[in-house]
Amino acid sequence: MSPRAIAAAAVVFSAVIAMPLPAQDTTAGRPTAVMISGPDVGRRAPAFRLPWANKEGAGPADQPYDLALDRGKTVVLAFFPRDFTNGCTAEMKTFAEQYDSLFGPEVVVVGISTDSLATHTRFAASLDLPFRLLSDPRQEVARRYASHDRSGYMRRTVYVVGPDGRVRYRNIRFNALDPTHYAELGAAVRRSRGG
Amino acid sequence: MRPRGTLIGLFALLACSVRLAGAQETGIAVGSRAPAVVVHDLDGAPVHLANYIGRTPILLEFWATWCEVCEALLPRVRAAHDEFGDRVAFFGVNVAVNQTPERVRKYLASHQPPFRTLYDDAGTSIRAYQAPTTSYVVIIDRAGRVAYAGTGAEQDLSGALRAVISR
Repeated sequence: MSPRAIAAAAVVFSAVIAMPLPAQDTTAGRPTAVMISGPDVGRRAPAFRLPWANKEGAGPADQPYDLALDRGKTVVLAFFPRDFTNGCTAEMKTFAEQYDSLFGPEVVVVGISTDSLATHTRFAASLDLPFRLLSDPRQEVARRYASHDRSGYMRRTVYVVGPDGRVRYRNIRFNALDPTHYAELGAAVRRSRGG
Repeated sequence: MRPRGTLIGLFALLACSVRLAGAQETGIAVGSRAPAVVVHDLDGAPVHLANYIGRTPILLEFWATWCEVCEALLPRVRAAHDEFGDRVAFFGVNVAVNQTPERVRKYLASHQPPFRTLYDDAGTSIRAYQAPTTSYVVIIDRAGRVAYAGTGAEQDLSGALRAVISR
């Protein structure tokens, strides 16, 4: 392949990436382009540790959430754009109110966004969330789970990690308003718990 | 195709894929053709949007009883209906997440929003219209094209409808 051909291809790539999205009057913050990657189903979920908060306050700084410590359990990782926004409120509220039917006992659920622990605490308290929210302000973990976005807010994605530490299910286009996405998630959790 | 052309084509395809992947929460593109989906009403009767699309302007709001922003938007929906209700079909698509038809009926009785309520428990219209959040409003012009898509409590719905009607 000649250098000219590679250069031409790079120019085409850059031009398409740089094209503006159609004018929209949405106010929720527009995600920018992101390459889909992250662990697919069957792959080992990347290990990580992140500081956490729940509705009662921030967790101890020296005891961050550690995915590795939940080996042997089914873990749901829910990356979401931002506390207190409509879509994220819908998603977290649904998780909370349907916790038993969607997840059940002994399943660990964590929400992950770029928000601070203080904001997480207020958000969790406002919705009475029965699970922890993790803070990943630089999207370092999000990047490893195909949930990073250059807009500064994460993409809305969901992963189910099985007791063996492998990804059992993922939805990298989770829609907080789509009932079928919650049904799929619940079914995946049940399969993971059963397996 | 020669190797150079193949390479350029692959890069272009990759770039397009990247853009689509990033358009997760932006809503349906203005100018696109409105999807003619079938959604049920609260009694389970099918409502074919195809019966309206291309025949009359339409306002669709994706909402929920628990959505505070939707409630804040309601006066603007009422004002828009007062001005354009005789020329525009108003639909409120209840997103059915964390809802029951009974809860929706109770809300309708107490708040009386000025739209025909649909209950999308299959998520059909949510996916078709790429609804990113509640309070999401889509306005479809008389030609069946998306003329407006927006979210939030401060949307100028009357202004958006005025632009559609005056075309």
